[in-house]
Amino acid sequence: MQPVIFRWGLFCSLFAATAACADLPRDPAGTTERVERTGKLIVGQISGDNLSDQSAKILRRVAQRTHATVHIRQGAGEQLLTDLEEGRIDLVYGRFAKSSPWSANVHLGPPMGRRKIVGKDERVPRFAFRNGENGWITMVQREIP
Amino acid sequence: MRSALFEDILSLVPAITFLIAAQFEPKSPTDKYPFGFVRVNSLAFLVAAVALTAVGVFLLYESAMTLLMAEHPTVAPVKIGGHSIWMGWLMIAALTYSIVVPVIIGRLKLPVAEQLYDKVLHTDALMQKADWQTGLAGIVGILGIYFGYWWADSAAALFIAFSILRDGLSNMGKAAAELLDGAPRDLTGSCISPEAERLRQRLQRIWPSGNVRLRESGRYLVGTVEGIHPPDDLPDLEELMGEDPSWRLARLSFSPPEMLRREDVG
Repeated sequence: MQPVIFRWGLFCSLFAATAACADLPRDPAGTTERVERTGKLIVGQISGDNLSDQSAKILRRVAQRTHATVHIRQGAGEQLLTDLEEGRIDLVYGRFAKSSPWSANVHLGPPMGRRKIVGKDERVPRFAFRNGENGWITMVQREIP
Repeated sequence: MRSALFEDILSLVPAITFLIAAQFEPKSPTDKYPFGFVRVNSLAFLVAAVALTAVGVFLLYESAMTLLMAEHPTVAPVKIGGHSIWMGWLMIAALTYSIVVPVIIGRLKLPVAEQLYDKVLHTDALMQKADWQTGLAGIVGILGIYFGYWWADSAAALFIAFSILRDGLSNMGKAAAELLDGAPRDLTGSCISPEAERLRQRLQRIWPSGNVRLRESGRYLVGTVEGIHPPDDLPDLEELMGEDPSWRLARLSFSPPEMLRREDVG
């Protein structure tokens, strides 16, 4: 049994070392790569939830990093989140509660603003991401103070 | 989280049943249990084997469903001390730590289980193996996610689930054989225990006209030589067991040819 553990351990260490050389995790659906390639960062903004100064600043920084321009698309939450799930939009901005039924279908980022600890039923401004796009999520969330 | 808790609770079952069985086993026979409690070990073995199988089935179901649903696992970054760290690295660190303990304890339990011929303890060691293998599969899965392979986590878990399930089913088969008075099985496999086979051959050599039947009662061997009158002078235990540990043979009985016996019930 022991040689098997060592073999696996060696394999994992080499794998981890290789991974550590890269910067961000990769996106299975390639959101980061698409934004960089097309130069377009499409952000869905839920009608009535206006972009705060902080979120606008975050978007500018992400756009700078990816050499893209931000395109805002306004609409109803249901439509925008469906578009996000299907990869037609890169980010959705709006007020979401952590307990939202959408939290199973999309990844809800941390709350914006000064208050970082909020109730799970409290609707606060956040970015929503397509599930599993870990590189993209990491890149955007790094910009959130 | 709930599934991890369920799996962790199940993985405690062999250890708990071992401790319970160890409490009951040395107790003296009572009116209700005139043969004592030696076979508690066999019952505990069945319970432990079922728990191991359940962990395998559960892991198999979960990973297969995640693969079928094509769920893309999200591993987001966390802020620690003002720095943003990808949660995957922290998960790998925690999983590495969680692997160390079962690897060490599992390795320590195996030789003890072999010395005591304790199948419950052996199943517990297999459960520890299942624990560290699941942890290792988790690490491989997270590294796969890092490289953009959303299926890596579930595929690694599925692979490990088959191995756990195989161990669990094999042990369930052995536990069933023990409860059905089957021939004693090997601790590490499903074939007949080599030492039981050696004992059977020795007994057959001594009483060639008898029919030798062996079964296992807990960690002990029980033998019957049929068609033979009880001899006046029995060989001693050491002679009967040869190089194998003599304590393993708990009882050897003889049933004469004229004894009342129904052939159809063994």
